[in-house]
Formats: sequence, C-alpha cells, structure tokens
Amino acid sequence: MVQYRLPMLPPSDEVDWGASVNGNAVSTRLESNAILLDVLRDSLGILGTKRGCDMGTCGCCSVLVDGSPRLSCLMLAQEANGCEITTVEGLSDGHHLHPIQQTFTECGGSQCGFCTPGFLVVISALLGENPEPSEGEIKSAIEGNLCRCTGYQQIVDSVKEASNILCNGANVDDSTDPKSDPHPGFSG
Amino acid sequence: MWMTPQIPRVIRIQDFRGEKLGEEDSDEMVGYRQQPGKLPFSKPGSGGKNQFSEPRDESSIPESQGGSKAQPWGDHRHDEIVSGRVIGKPTALVDSRWKVTGQAQYGDDIRLPGELVGRIIRSPHHYARVLSIDASKALDLPGVLAVATGQDATSAFGVLPVTKDEHAMAQDKVRHVGDLVACVAAVDEASAREACRLIEVEYEVLDSIHDMRDGLEDSDLPIHDRGKYHIGESNVQKRVFQEFGNVEDMRDSMASHSSDWLFAGANHGFTEPHAVVAHWDPSGRLTLYTPQQVPHYLHRALADVLEVPMHQINVYRTFVGGGFGGKSDPFPHEMCAAILARKTGKPVRINFDREEVFWVNRGRHPSRIGMSIHSDSEGRISGIETDALIDGGAFASFGHVTTYYNGVLHTAPYEIGGFHYTGARVWTNKPASGAMRGHGAVNSRCAVEVGLDDICEQLNVDPIDFRLANLLPPHSSTITGFRVTSIGMRECLEKVREASGWDEKFRKMPLGRGIGVGCGFFISGSGLPIHWDPNKFPHATVHLKIDMDGGVTIHTGAADIGQGSDTVVAQSVAEVLGLPLDMIRVRSRETDTSPVDLGSYSSRVTFMNANAAISAAMEIRAELIKATSEITGAPEKKLVIGDRRIFRKDDPAVGVSYLEALHKSQEDRGALVSSGSYRTPPMGRVHKGAAAGLAPAYSFSAYVAEVEVDVETGQTKVLKVWAAHDCGKALNPLSVEGQIIGSCHMGMGQVLSEEMRYGRTGHLINPDLLDYKIPTVHEMPQVFPIIVESNDPEGPFGAKEAGEGPLLPILPAVVNAVYDATGVRVSELPISPDRLYKAIEKKCRKDGVSSPTEMKTPRISHSELQEKIVERGKSHSERDIERRRGKEPSPYHNGALFGLDPEVPGDEQDSRWTAVVTPSEEYLESPGLAGSAWKHVERRKRGDSQ
Amino acid sequence: MKMPPFQLHSPKSLEEAFSIADELSSSNREFDWVAGGTDLLPNYKWHLNVKPDVISLAGVSELTLLTDTHIGAMVRLHDLAESENTHSLVSAAAESVASTLIRRSATVGGNLCLDTRCFWFNQTEDWRESIDWCHKCDCGTDADCRVIPNQNTLCVATYQADLAPSLMCLGATIHLASKDGERSMPMGDFFQLDGMTRNVLQEGEIVTHVTLPDDVSEWHGDYQKLRQRESWDFPEAGVAVAWKKTGGDVSDLRVATTGLESIPGYHEEESRLVLDDWRGEESVDLLSESVRKSVKPVLNTWFPPSYRRKMVKVLTRRACSGLLEDSK
Repeated sequence: MVQYRLPMLPPSDEVDWGASVNGNAVSTRLESNAILLDVLRDSLGILGTKRGCDMGTCGCCSVLVDGSPRLSCLMLAQEANGCEITTVEGLSDGHHLHPIQQTFTECGGSQCGFCTPGFLVVISALLGENPEPSEGEIKSAIEGNLCRCTGYQQIVDSVKEASNILCNGANVDDSTDPKSDPHPGFSG
Repeated sequence: MWMTPQIPRVIRIQDFRGEKLGEEDSDEMVGYRQQPGKLPFSKPGSGGKNQFSEPRDESSIPESQGGSKAQPWGDHRHDEIVSGRVIGKPTALVDSRWKVTGQAQYGDDIRLPGELVGRIIRSPHHYARVLSIDASKALDLPGVLAVATGQDATSAFGVLPVTKDEHAMAQDKVRHVGDLVACVAAVDEASAREACRLIEVEYEVLDSIHDMRDGLEDSDLPIHDRGKYHIGESNVQKRVFQEFGNVEDMRDSMASHSSDWLFAGANHGFTEPHAVVAHWDPSGRLTLYTPQQVPHYLHRALADVLEVPMHQINVYRTFVGGGFGGKSDPFPHEMCAAILARKTGKPVRINFDREEVFWVNRGRHPSRIGMSIHSDSEGRISGIETDALIDGGAFASFGHVTTYYNGVLHTAPYEIGGFHYTGARVWTNKPASGAMRGHGAVNSRCAVEVGLDDICEQLNVDPIDFRLANLLPPHSSTITGFRVTSIGMRECLEKVREASGWDEKFRKMPLGRGIGVGCGFFISGSGLPIHWDPNKFPHATVHLKIDMDGGVTIHTGAADIGQGSDTVVAQSVAEVLGLPLDMIRVRSRETDTSPVDLGSYSSRVTFMNANAAISAAMEIRAELIKATSEITGAPEKKLVIGDRRIFRKDDPAVGVSYLEALHKSQEDRGALVSSGSYRTPPMGRVHKGAAAGLAPAYSFSAYVAEVEVDVETGQTKVLKVWAAHDCGKALNPLSVEGQIIGSCHMGMGQVLSEEMRYGRTGHLINPDLLDYKIPTVHEMPQVFPIIVESNDPEGPFGAKEAGEGPLLPILPAVVNAVYDATGVRVSELPISPDRLYKAIEKKCRKDGVSSPTEMKTPRISHSELQEKIVERGKSHSERDIERRRGKEPSPYHNGALFGLDPEVPGDEQDSRWTAVVTPSEEYLESPGLAGSAWKHVERRKRGDSQ
Repeated sequence: MKMPPFQLHSPKSLEEAFSIADELSSSNREFDWVAGGTDLLPNYKWHLNVKPDVISLAGVSELTLLTDTHIGAMVRLHDLAESENTHSLVSAAAESVASTLIRRSATVGGNLCLDTRCFWFNQTEDWRESIDWCHKCDCGTDADCRVIPNQNTLCVATYQADLAPSLMCLGATIHLASKDGERSMPMGDFFQLDGMTRNVLQEGEIVTHVTLPDDVSEWHGDYQKLRQRESWDFPEAGVAVAWKKTGGDVSDLRVATTGLESIPGYHEEESRLVLDDWRGEESVDLLSESVRKSVKPVLNTWFPPSYRRKMVKVLTRRACSGLLEDSK
C-alpha cells in the first residue's frame, strides 16, 4: 500500500526558548516548529489557555504577547521567544481578580466558560488601552472570539461594568479572603 | 495594572451572643475553648462569612406567607419554605471563579502522570466493509504501545436501549466518512499520528446513500440490519403515524397553508472539542474523565462495552465546554480511551480536532417537512398536517425520540381541530444526527409558526391576535393527551407586542425592514426516563450532608454543562435552609459519590433536580425546626427560617441561630444526612407513542424579531429581538436571561447562516469553524429578554425550563420578519443571502419589476374576522386568569373551542374525532414523503423473520 | 493539532534570510517563507504542501516600515488599518480582513501572497484522503482537480485576499527581492495564473514592500466586500474602485476585484470604456454590468458562483457611490 500521508516523524530539531510567562521566567528546549499554544499547554502545563479550533477561528487560545492579544494557535513559539506572555492565569495578581474577571462572574459573561480565558485576555488588553470603550469598540475588540453560550450580550455587559469599575473605582473583591468569595465551597 | 480600591476592614472580635468587644479587649478570649465544668460550651454563631443574620427580605416572601411578594398566579406548594434568601435573585454561577481564572478543568485539561496520547483511525469511505487491518508497522514504531480495533469490543451500545446500533469501532462495516476503524495509544501525539498513518486498512467500498429520500427505498445492503424488526429492506430507522381530532373535516377550511420545507443539518458548535481521559487505577477500577451531559448513560454503556460491572467504573464529569445536546450520547471515542488504557495499563487521553467534532456530530437532523395548516371561518386552527422526513445519518442516537418530537411538540400551545402526523427517520451515510437544543421541535415549530403567519395573511387578521384567540388554557390537555399545567403563553405574546411596538410596525415598515412573531412550546423534562420504569425509580436524587461546620454538601449527579445546574441546586438548598450560598458546596462530578441523575437533556435538570434537592432540604429543615422547638419551646408550626436563624414568625425575638439548631439536631447522631428525589406523576394517554413528548410541565415563549434585509444582496440582519419566555419562575434571572439570549444566538445561526453542507460527492465540506458559520458578535441583534413567571404547580418554587424552549421562536420570528420586509416567504433554511436573493429574483419576475428595490411589500387591511378573534382572545384571557388561580380547575380537553365538552377527550364523545396510530390502506395509496415509510412491511410481519 | 515536522529558520536580516534560502536551494531542500503565519500555519496543520524548511521573516526589521507611500511587507494588518498614514481605500480593505485577532498577526506581504483557497483543498489530511486528494495538493498521486474534473493541469482555487484590489486601484508598485537582487512591477503584474502558480515569485524571492505613487492622496475610492459574516470570513467577492476628479468631473477611474478567480482582476478595459464617455449614474451601471460579465467564479467557496457574480455588479455600483457624490 502506498502512503500518501505526510510522515509525522522524525521530529524537528530542538532549539532553546525562553519567555516570561505570567511574570515567571521560563526557559526550555523546544522543537523549532513548535506552536505557542502547544508550548503553553503541553510543555508548560498552563492549561487555562484553551484549544477550540486550532486555526484562528474561535479565539479561545488568545494570549497577550508583549501586551498585544494574539492567537497562540497561529503563532510560532519562536516568534514569542524572549517576549512577555500573559495568559488568563496572569490576569489576577493572586489576591484580586481583574475587574473584567469579576464582572464576568457577576454579569453572566461566562456560561460554559470554555471561551472565557480568550475573551478575558482580549478584553483586558482593550481596557488597558481604552478604559472607557464604546459598545462598537467592545464589539470590534471581541470579533475574533467565538462564544456559543451567551450570544455575547452579557459579555458586552460585563465589559461595560468592568469599565465602570476602572473609571469609578468600585469595589474589587480580594479573592484570597475567604469572606469575600461568594462560593468558596464549590469544587473546581 | 488596574486600580485596586482598598476595602476598609474592621478587625474585631465578637462573642457569639452579639456583644461587640473592642480590639483592646482581644485578650479576653471567648468562644469555642471548652473547659468542662468551668465554662459552658458557648452558643454557636450563625455560620457564614457574615456573622450577622440579615433581616428577612419581605419582598421575597410570598403574600400567602405574610410577605409582600405579590402572587398574581396564585399560591405554590413551596411558598412556605421560601426564606427569601437567594431564589429569584440574579446570582453569579457558583463555579464562575474557576472559569474566569483559568482553573476550570475541561476534558483536555485533565493531565495524568504517565499518560499516553490516543488517536483514532477513521474511515475515508462513506460506506465500506472493513476487510483487514494491518497494524504491524504501527506497532513496530517506537513509542507506540497499543492498537485496538473493533474486535476488542464487540458489544453494541447506544443512548436509547431500543436502538443500540453503535460500537466502539467498526465491527464489519464503516458507515460514514470519519467512522471509527481503529485506535492507537502512543507516548506522544506525533508518534500517535504517525502510527495512524502506518496502519493499513483494506476496504471493500459499498454503494452509499446521501439523499434522505433514498433512505425510504429498499436497499441491497441497508446501513444497519435490525433483524426481524427491520422495516422492509429499507433504511427507515423509525416511523410514526398519528391522527388525532377531526381529521376528516379539517381540510374543508376557509384558509389553508401548505409548504414543503428543507432544513439543513446544524451542529452544536460548542467551543470545547470532545476530549476524554481513561485511567484504570491500581485496584483495577476505571475512572473515565469526560465532558459529558449524561454521565449515567455513559456509565451504563461503558459497563456493557467493557464487560465490567458498573461499580467498577467511576465516570468523572469534567467541566463541560458547551453541550447543547452534542455531548449527551455515550461516545465510541470514550470506549476507545478505556480500551486503550486497559490494554496499556496507563492513562490514555484522546482529544479531538475540530473536524472530528463534526464527524461525531449528533446535531440537528437535516429535514424535509411538509406542513399544512388549516383555519375555519371562525379563525380557529382546524387542523395541522405534518409530514417530517428526517435524516439520521449513520446511527440511531436519540433519533427514535426525534421522530416523535417533530410531530407531537407542535400540538400546543394552540387548541386545534385535527392533527395528522407522519414522521420517518432514515439512516444515511453521514455523521449521525441526534439531539440538539430544542430537540426535534425546532424545525417543525418553524414550519407551523410560518404557516400561521400565512394563514393570518390570507384571513387578513393580526397574527398576534390570531394566536391569542387560539391558545389552550392553563390546566388543560392537548389533542394528543399531554397534561399542560401552567401556561404563560398569553402574557408572553402580550408583552412582546407591547415592548416591540408591534401595532405601529407590523406590515407598515418600508421595503427592507420587517417585523415578525413566532412562538414556542417545549418540554420541561421528559416524562419517561430512558432506562427506568418511572414508577419504580426516581429521575433525580439528591443527597445532603451537614456536619458540625454547618456547611451543606450537596451530592448530585446532575451535569453542569455551563447552564448553571450546580448553581440552581445550591440556590434551592440555600433557600430552604435559609443559608447564604457560601455555606453550600456542590459535589456533582463523580458517579462514585453522586446519586444517579439521568443527565442534562430534555431540559429536565432544573425541574427535576431542584425538586429533588428541595425535598432533601425539607428533611433537614424539619429537623432544624424540631430542634428549635425543643430549645425554645415554641410549637413547630409557628417557626420559620430566615437568614441562618430559626424563629417564631409571630415573635421573631424567640429563636435560635442555625448552628445552634443544627448542633442540637446532631447531638445524638452526628452529621445530618438526607436524601430527596423526584419522579414524574402518572400522566398522558395510552396509545403507542403516547409517552413521547410527555413532560411534567411545559415552557412557552413568544418572540418578535425586527430585521433589515438588503434586498439587492439578500443579506439579512436581525436588529432587535423581544424575547418573552415563560419559565414558571426564574430561580436565577441572570441565568434565565443568559439562556434566552444564547438561544437567540444559536437559533439565529440556524435560520441565517449555519448549515452542515454536503458536496456533490457526499462529503461534509465545512467541518470547521471558518465555514460552519456561527454568528459573530457583529451579527448579534440587541435582545430584550422578558421573563414571564407562570408559577408552575409542580416546578421547584414554580420553575420550568429555560434552556431549550427559548430557541424555538427565533427561527419563525425571523422568517416572518423577512416576509414582512420583502414579501418573500422562504421555506428553506438557512436563509443564506444567496438563497434569499434567488427568491427575491423570483418575486421580482412575479411582480414584474426590474429591480428588487421596486418590490412590493405586504400590507394588511383587517377583515371582519379580526374583531371577532380579538373578542375571543379577550374572553379567553378572562377564562385563563380564572383557571390559573382556581385551586382545582375543571378538566379541559383540546376540542372545547370546537364545541365539544371540555371535560371529555374528543375521541370519546364525537365519532368524527379520532385517535389513530397506524395508517389506513387508503392513506397508503398516496402517502406523504415520510408517510411512504409505512409502505414497507416489517420483516417479522412478512413471515420471513430472521 | 501537532505541527508536522519542519525546521524553522529565523533570520534577523534580509541578507541572512537570503543566504539561508540560497543554502537550502543549493542543497535541494524545498522551503516556504512565513510572515504572520495566519495562512501558512493552518495549512501546515492540515498537511497542505508542507515543506521540510520554513524561513520566518518575523525577525527581519527591514520589512516593517510604514509611511504614506511605503508599506513594508511585514507590516501587520492591524497596524496598517489603524495607522493615520494609510490611505482610506487601503485601510478599508485591511480592516475587513478576517478578525481583529487575525489582523494582529497577519501581514501585508502574507495577505498579498495568500494561498488560493478551495473547499476541496482547505481540509484536513484525513478529509482529503477521503476524496483521493486533489490537483493542488496531490501528495504524489497526480490527482485530478475536483472543481473541474477529468483534468490535472489547471488549478482553479480562488484568490481570497482583500488588500490587492485596493492597492491595484491606487497604482501601487510591488517590490520583490532575492539574493540576486531586487525587482519591481505594477501590482497587477505580480499575480500569475493558475491557482498553484499564483504569482511571479521565484524560489528564494520575497515581497519586500509596496509603494504608492505620489499622487495617491488625490485618489478616492471604496472597497466593498461580500461575505456571510462580518468577522472571520474571506471575501466571497471584493470590489475596489478608485477615482480621481478634476473640477468635479471624473478624470480617472480604476476597478479591481478579488475573491472571484485564482488571481485578482484588474478591470482596466471596463473602466476605460465608461471613462471615455462618462454619463454619471448610467456609466456606473454600465461599468458594474461589464465587471460582472468579466469575472468567472467557480464553485469552490461558501457562496455559489452565480450569486457571487451577480453581487459583483451590486458591489461595484456601491463602491462607486462616492463617485456620484459632488464632494469628492
């Protein structure tokens, strides 16, 4: 039988790779063709970044590379060599949720939650650049993220509410204080 | 970084009798330090993060209990257990913090030490016999640990016990491109993929079937062989015939609509691809981690396929990245992971590429639906005739039920004079269709509601008034004998009419702008469980455990798939026990620790599981009240529960804290445990198929959509949707609104852009999220969710479903709005721009205009009938208000509107009213498309049974 | 989805890039260039014409210059769309590409060199095996074209990139370079049939930048794009129209299309015909009709070809709407 399929082995040569991931310096050896999403999930075990379509059409894999939202499924890891990478795990400082994380919970921005990490990093970048985005600007910012549960409306609501927190300084819960966690007993 | 406002925090120590001590007094330690003989064991506090009990929220306590919450829909059996804490208040999902911090573990996030990567070898042929599988080259590859084929698991499975037609991998034949042939486990993904490449499979290609109409014909080699139950030699998997009411006279009507619909298949399009991890632990038990809607059915199927007892298997439901019905079958890849893990002795993870999601599918059936609707001179719906041929793809899945649902789920909310339904589901060589949000009801509902719009056009009456004059009343029985309890349909219609400005817009807007209405009706839980005799086993069971810490642990098997079922069950328990949500913890993941729940399908979870939770919590509540009575001496009947405090209703000063009562109850026995369950009451009639569509309650909805059609390109943009849904009682309004808006999004995809498109060679040409066109944020209209609360007598706190029903009305509302905007009535979905443009061109030719911009749009001038139906609607409205408030309203059977005695089913009082479930010879002389399935004779009835 | 194996080379300068290319060529190793990766990487994941070596241009800083008249090949579409220096006709096209997330990665050079698309081709390896492959990626089988069967000499995959028509209309020049030197040509001459040849690039040659003529600010225009959804979707048809007015009269007019054939179309003849005898709205109708007639889409994208062709007329007319206004 003739084989027309592409061999998957031997693997590509390895190269040195390093980055700052959520503020932690990481250095490792990678196959030279490695994709950033695969590196984050499979090599570094940073599983908050999700794999939805693997070809840029769902946005679940979005991360910030040097502050700019990028699709990690379509990014060669080598292009991010030496960069600062922020995933959803890096949005909160360990004590306080980012306002957009908090408002996602309160406004129903997250239902099944699978697309949530992608939305959150994209929105955090938007709010970083523009703390008071218009509805049109919000929609344009999230046009590369697919959500199948919410119909986006409560996501847009969450962004508006987060913008309100940023501009008017409403309370942000300290997530490490058990008294502020509305549901500490839930098993993740 | 963002600004973090400082939260002022006063640190103080406080004794549990409520006396505040200043910081300077902090040396004076009081509390739990036990010194027998010296100090009394201090009274426990109220528990919870906030030490102070909140006053009762009178606005959340029903009037019947002395609160100020109005009850326009009457009392409810749960009124007296309302503590006013959480029910009915917008509540963040209890697991949302896991989701927003990236800590929620979905299928592909389960990573076990030493795990292997599994991959599946899939068929490149539509239909073929597998002659041989040579895995020797693959097994020689370093890093490849196992290859499994169909021979490793020969037992059949399927979600419905009556139609088990699936196997872990091909036994002898593959039935669609992408069907499973074999699987491999290797140390990494590259080796696994390379191994797949090296496995050589020899096939004998067979003639495949792609057009569902061909499935009705006899075939040389039907896709499945059902032995003596096989229907002729065809690919008909299931057929249904039903006639109810006055079928004879219904066609003799004043207005008739007839349309042949073609609905493309739709996929759930959840963002999380399927993923599974299987692990046989050192004791020889299997734990299977999987994002599943139906862990229990999977549990059963695994036991069958792996041939191990159920108690040797623990199904662990991970976070589910969207289900919508697409994760509600036991799947072959789950079997494969378990088989590979058993073979290798190591954990095996299989995660899907997006294309594989489309191959496993179970999406909405591609359908051909013939719909005829008749109205008499009184503006009554004298008959609905439906002929639904649905394309099941290669496997049965839920199709047996879908075949019924395409008919029986449009016998309400309207009172009808006659109902004729023929349905057939055929196997074809495509990925299997199955259950998808709005299961079986979506397509035929669209056809009905569009048909009604046409009928109203013919009668020159307003479609909302027409509907209002034809609704079944509360506490009535449909033509097929479904028991309908609460109905908020009228209020839904009235509210969307007002909110949308219907009367100023309908048939009055310029070309290219339009408005349309559509309604929906859906089951709130399936009356019959799939496996169990409902009279013997409950549908849902919930266990509670409360130990000395005062926190309540809920054990439930209900699968949270993002809809918020964990939250609803936590809310229900919190409400009954008067606790804040932070004292509730939900354990719902593992079959090892969860009582059986049948799963998240048929919109059953809130209704059944919350009812089970309430009855479990009521047991605990009774214990707490008893203990309080013992402590305070107050009679139990006088006691009520507020926020972590149980007290005399007439003298709130007399009472104890929750923890005090709890500890009293625990004195002799330690932790309190309780169990509650829910089962459906006996319902319905007895004809064949009577159980399909039976539900303990039904939801209703009415939407108005406003659209803009670019008549030169055929592109439709939905601008606004007013979406009213009767969910009985919104336990968590935030989630109900989320479900309504999300349903709009999904339904809008199906009506405007989503389709599983098969090319001329029968291949699915868009198995990816670029060409499977799910609406983006830019396509999304502004949705105004309107919650109608009809206070269902059997629902938990009055609640019914809100997850599926809200999808139904958006399709016909958009189709009707497109008609209003253009005068073009489509009968093929999705209304992609090219399809609509073609229809616009046709209309231009018909109108004799050269440009679409010159087309005439429909206008209305009311006929005499309009006034008549408005009057009827008004008097029905009064009737309904009376019936919904009455304690025990008299029976009302469909048919009273046509002059029959409401207290007796039509067929028992009028010889022209029938209830027939097999076709007559006369019918078979010229059957409908799906009806022609009845031309075949079952093998066993042919005398050549095998 | 695991990437198939290839060696990635990441040069820091053009010179280094060309020397790597030269080395690979001389050792007979096939290679691809990758810019933003939003086209090549998904194709590679699906094993579409994977080469053993890939040279990334991400680190080559010479290619990122962006001014009024100079657009470097490695300028990201997001930056192009957002820049104040960008001509409105170019930014209209740039901001319509895919989604904002894609545009953060995608580049001008990558968009111009976008691989042609076809639903028989843009599929996974499993899928393509099930149709016995196709001419554009025949995996050594000499498979036929699946769009026009019974032949394996012509590929009719569709060019679905947005930038080219706008740049053509503005009279852009495209600049190429290789180790052998540089060359330039009008944008329209860059593209070359068929769906596999795509353009004139030779092995080892890349697009370095695009320049716009000095009179570019005098040109006005519009880009109209047909697609199912306002995000993600490639153009099912795209029409750019640019015009120049002198004293209120139309003095020059250019039309170009994309998403309809294997290369973008530059409709010089059609626009000249109406320009010679300009009669306002009537001319626009004539022009739209003649552009419609001149394109021949095939069935290999989301919308059927008959519809796309009809829409070309509507899109052309709409793109001309500013032309009939007095202001510009």
